[in-house]
Amino acid sequence: MTEHSQPPQESTRPLDSELDATELARMQRLMRGALDETATSSPDVLRGVQRKLRERSGGKFYADGWSTARHAPISTYLVTSLLMLAVMVFIYAVIHPLAGAPTMVRSIPVPVQVIAPRK
Amino acid sequence: MSNTPTDESSERRFVERLQNHDERAFNELVEAYGPRVFRLVARMLGRHEEAEDMAQEVFVQVFKAIEQFRGDSKLSTWIYRVATNMCKNRSKYLSRRHEDRQDAFDAIAEHQPLHQAKGVTSGQVNRPDDMVEGMQLEAIMRQCIADLEPDFREALILRDVENLSYEEIIQITCVAEGTVKSRIHRARTLLKQRLSLALGENLP
Repeated sequence: MTEHSQPPQESTRPLDSELDATELARMQRLMRGALDETATSSPDVLRGVQRKLRERSGGKFYADGWSTARHAPISTYLVTSLLMLAVMVFIYAVIHPLAGAPTMVRSIPVPVQVIAPRK
Repeated sequence: MSNTPTDESSERRFVERLQNHDERAFNELVEAYGPRVFRLVARMLGRHEEAEDMAQEVFVQVFKAIEQFRGDSKLSTWIYRVATNMCKNRSKYLSRRHEDRQDAFDAIAEHQPLHQAKGVTSGQVNRPDDMVEGMQLEAIMRQCIADLEPDFREALILRDVENLSYEEIIQITCVAEGTVKSRIHRARTLLKQRLSLALGENLP
């Protein structure tokens, strides 16, 4: 990005203060007025950039709708969360009646048989 | 944009995300700098339809070249540098094509002396005839700016329209301070001469 070449005969010349301040201000107003006509109504730059990057990268970047979305898809997150909650409640409602009441289990130790070593 | 980096460390983290080609970070970058870059390129090229395409190309170039960003300057300055370089190249290309720039200029039948203009632009007047005069003056001014050499036009717009400091202009243009000041002075002088000539006013 540094392809600037310095013109050979450019000298260190006057600053703003050496120019007539009123005239300079008038010129600047004129310049801004003239150039701002072309700079009004800023377009949607982001969409165009995403499209160009998607095309030129062969779909490597901005390939899906999620990455090109301007805002986080809050509604999608909410619907997905509620759906998952409903599925879990349903599963619990179906499985819970199938489970019986807990029963006591008596733990009896198994007798130990000692085997004598072979001679 | 609330999540635009404000201090040095957060900008560094943000640049790291960009260098990792984080698409969300790049979206934030375009959202934050898109309008400013569009305004700059529109002013430098003087054409709305060209500016929209050019602003997009600037960010595509930023996306491709972000790994070369070393952090020697602010990210915004670096983006401005990319934008101004691309605008200068496009201007050179367009000027070679000799498009129909002269037509609008020739269509202005009546001229108003510069000393009577007093910086009137179409946005500042109410009467229809004043508005027409203002629009004519703006058209002449646009033409005179467009006729400047790309280096002079760049310096003039960055200083007098974008209102950037000399330090920022030096970083953007990568030329010495003396050269920047010289270009600005020369651009102002040339602009005044050409404007006076176009308005049929004798120079002092």
